[in-house]
Amino acid sequence: MAGKIIADTIETGAGADISTSYVVNGSAKAWANLTGTGTIALNDSLNIGSTTDNGTGRYDFSFTTSFANANYGINYSVKRNSTGSGGVHSEARTLATGNTEIRGFGNGSASNTLNDQELVVIGIDGDLA
Amino acid sequence: MNTPEFQGTHLWDRLCWAKENLEAYQSDYRVVYEDSIDECAKILVPDPNWMAAAMQGGILPPVWVYWELAKDEAKEDFKKHTRGYLLHETAPVDAMTEEEAIEYLIMKDVPQSVWQTWDEGNRPKMVICKKEQLPQTRTWRNAWRISDELAA
Repeated sequence: MAGKIIADTIETGAGADISTSYVVNGSAKAWANLTGTGTIALNDSLNIGSTTDNGTGRYDFSFTTSFANANYGINYSVKRNSTGSGGVHSEARTLATGNTEIRGFGNGSASNTLNDQELVVIGIDGDLA
Repeated sequence: MNTPEFQGTHLWDRLCWAKENLEAYQSDYRVVYEDSIDECAKILVPDPNWMAAAMQGGILPPVWVYWELAKDEAKEDFKKHTRGYLLHETAPVDAMTEEEAIEYLIMKDVPQSVWQTWDEGNRPKMVICKKEQLPQTRTWRNAWRISDELAA
């Protein structure tokens, strides 16, 4: 059954009203799940046009709907290779309205060394252009 | 499935419609390019959901819209986009073939300095190839360059 719900507020079970704008603005405006080893590949996504392998451990994500400014919030993480060892960590290196670069470090090498990661996941909240 | 009349609909809402209604399309095309002599070759991979939207037609804005936004962002006093309406109110482009979609993506996501002069100089700066033509191993990854074989 198709339909449309139009509401300015939502009421919780405890009787508290919240504006639906919280729900709309709080939804991730872009997300991606990327295999980051070998020839990289996007497994699934929303609002992503392409991803670019910029070099070892460097992954660029371009957006289809640009963000209004570069002050958006990114949740990102990496999963180390099944053959890797040691800790891994990641960094949001570049934030622009049309793209962002995520970098992965560690994974069997020194923790401050760029290295390819088995999986790279990102979710971005912010205002769209 | 026909695309709804989307001109004037927020682009993000169109993408949500596409995600819900279109089957993702995994293209085998890859774009290899060099934009700096100090860095290795970069490899652009199309997004499967974006490809589906491009090949469906009536969803994505013309590529020049992104160029206009990029010009705005390049200004020194840029704070935020004030011409985002271009994304939503410009008439969307018709359905593209897979190859046309890759060309669009190049003009959207590869630096203009690369695709506008890709075949000038001693050797090409950009190559469109198939996924299986790329090295599978990451050994010496940072030394990758566009090989003569790939450029041919």
